[in-house]
Amino acid sequence: MLASSTVENYLKAIYAGAAALPDGQRLLPMGQLAAAVGVAPGTATTMVKTLAESGLVEYEPYAGVALTAAGQKLAALVLRRHRLIELFLVRVMGYSWDEVHDEAELLEHVVTDRLIERIDEMLGRPESDPHGDPIPNAQGLVKPQDAQTLLSCPLETTVIVTRVIDQDKEFLRFIEHNHLKPGETIEVEARNAAADSVRVRGKNDQRITIGTRAASKLLVHVAQVVLLCLLAVPAIAQTAPQRTETRRTNLSGYMDFHFNKEEFTDARLDFHRFVLLVTHTFSPSIRFVGELELEHAFVEGLEEAGELELEQAYVDFLLDRSLNVRAGMMLMPIGIINERHEPPVYYGVERPFIDTVIIPTTWFEVGAGVHGEVGRGWRYRGYVTAPLNAAEFSAEEGIREGRQKGAESNVGRPAVTGRLEYVGFRGLTLGGSAWSGHSGFEFRPRFDVPVSVAEADARYSRRGYEFRGQFAKVWIDNAGLLNDTLALRTGVNPNIGSALRGFSLEGSRRFLAGRLGEIGGFLRYENFDTQYRMPAGYVPLQQFDRDAWVVGANFWPDPDVAVKVDYSVVRNQSSVVRAPNSFNVGLGWWF
Amino acid sequence: MRNSIRLLALAIVMAVVLAEGVALLFGVSAKAALPAEALAQAGQETRVIEIAAERFTFTPSEIRVKAGTRLEIRLESDDTAHGFHIVGTDVDIELPKRGRGAATVTFQPQAGRYTFECSRVCGAGHEFMRGVIIAE
Repeated sequence: MLASSTVENYLKAIYAGAAALPDGQRLLPMGQLAAAVGVAPGTATTMVKTLAESGLVEYEPYAGVALTAAGQKLAALVLRRHRLIELFLVRVMGYSWDEVHDEAELLEHVVTDRLIERIDEMLGRPESDPHGDPIPNAQGLVKPQDAQTLLSCPLETTVIVTRVIDQDKEFLRFIEHNHLKPGETIEVEARNAAADSVRVRGKNDQRITIGTRAASKLLVHVAQVVLLCLLAVPAIAQTAPQRTETRRTNLSGYMDFHFNKEEFTDARLDFHRFVLLVTHTFSPSIRFVGELELEHAFVEGLEEAGELELEQAYVDFLLDRSLNVRAGMMLMPIGIINERHEPPVYYGVERPFIDTVIIPTTWFEVGAGVHGEVGRGWRYRGYVTAPLNAAEFSAEEGIREGRQKGAESNVGRPAVTGRLEYVGFRGLTLGGSAWSGHSGFEFRPRFDVPVSVAEADARYSRRGYEFRGQFAKVWIDNAGLLNDTLALRTGVNPNIGSALRGFSLEGSRRFLAGRLGEIGGFLRYENFDTQYRMPAGYVPLQQFDRDAWVVGANFWPDPDVAVKVDYSVVRNQSSVVRAPNSFNVGLGWWF
Repeated sequence: MRNSIRLLALAIVMAVVLAEGVALLFGVSAKAALPAEALAQAGQETRVIEIAAERFTFTPSEIRVKAGTRLEIRLESDDTAHGFHIVGTDVDIELPKRGRGAATVTFQPQAGRYTFECSRVCGAGHEFMRGVIIAE
């Protein structure tokens, strides 16, 4: 009998159906066959009887159907044609693997054996098609497979995906997008029966959680891979089963590259920040976070150039949602920018003035403290840290140079700092921060320079709009005595104020820019004065009473990459010293 | 020093008033900050919960459900890629970056408290990014 396409499709369906039968069951129920071919059971029975008369199947009424040896071979040869055509279309014709099945369904019935033989030879007599399905040889024989699915393979053991047994286009695209195609090396990290899910660690340590249904359609090969691992990288094979998901080390970071053109000076190119974050999870409740920053690209001996700073290096002991303990080098929980300063998250090439001369970001110090969330969106931080060093204060930059930065920091009288924050409404953050410490420890005879910082901020972002407001004030008690003492030491009176004050308001709007990414514009007003109040007998210099309008735009080709441009118009109250305006362009990114 | 304490106290009072005012303005009470709780219905088999992720906050960060409810948690990022890991379970997925869709995961908690956290380092304050599912 000359096999028609209908006959071939029936034989293929019986072949595939029989392969999926449980062990010990030989006959494929007629209902299953009818469903696979897409006809009524009666129609399928009529056809099967015809096939039985031709010696291609065995048919047992009310029990089912099985292929004879002749039928088996014929079905295998149809599959051979189908799978070779699929591989040819992918490798030679440039089709994607999710669009070849339909073409092969048509072509498998019309191509000649000669053409199939030439394709087989041209492709190097492959053993599997693009989906990993085995290609029978010219005699209709298939090499036995001992693959397992993602539901049955060993956990935390390297395996190779060998086959995807569902050829639905959407499913194949999902598999390809998540790097789960045949040939990919992966590892099943965990299975969750309650969530019907399987977590897979794949390419570049990326993790994806998929449903058990999808997992059952991915076949993997274990033994061969383990062998390869043992041969190639013994350490991996030996350590993999012992690995726990909690012991992880991660590297990330952010960078800032700037072009600055200030009035009255030449333009500068500055690789402002190169920051690497290293985190390590010792256990689910003990974590390490480290942040190492190279500022201005270059550090050399005693030269005035860049800075290499350890901005964070702490261990978190996560005890409870409401109470956790932290110790090490920590960011002071003051204001918006100090703890949230990745370049793509704020507008403007440089950080706001208030976050530079009033709040000395990045403000980091050694110490220990607690943090947690108390419910309804309220959370807090409270630390005991090393204080500022008043001997380094100045009129222009306020308390900025007083940061001890954990370099053998004096903690004779530790400072305390804290922040209370509301984050219970999407896009909204409201915060209040404070810092208080005694900063005169360096002077002999010793005298006290109590310093206090108070700050309040609000930020709301939704649907591309964002509004920010911030107010900060610094009090330096005994500033008169501090100035007199420093004047005796250096010969120049630093004219340090007894109070510093600043505030800023910013509005911005972000738009989609088609396929290019997103673009946003902003306008910010800042008012800041590092001599807001002076000690008795001192007169403030008007050049330090400043305000600024900053206007500019950000372009995000990716949410983690920002190209920034802005123009700052800075004014002061002095009729003698003029504050320079500046034009700035920046490129910042996070990874 | 006295001034700073006064200002901080004022800032805290203002923050509390503003926070509760915003909640009132947008028609959400304290419970509304927890939409999952507001939606809870006894006997409902599957609940859809939407969580927004942004450096360094999940909103809502506290979700109350009936024990045994099957949760379909839909997560969307307002900035970079984040992770969503329910501590002590196998639930751990990555959220796509802003504008690139949402991630969905199902979870059926038994009675208890389940801490969830960002499992993909997202910035300096990554460790603050936590929340809790309370199944009662």
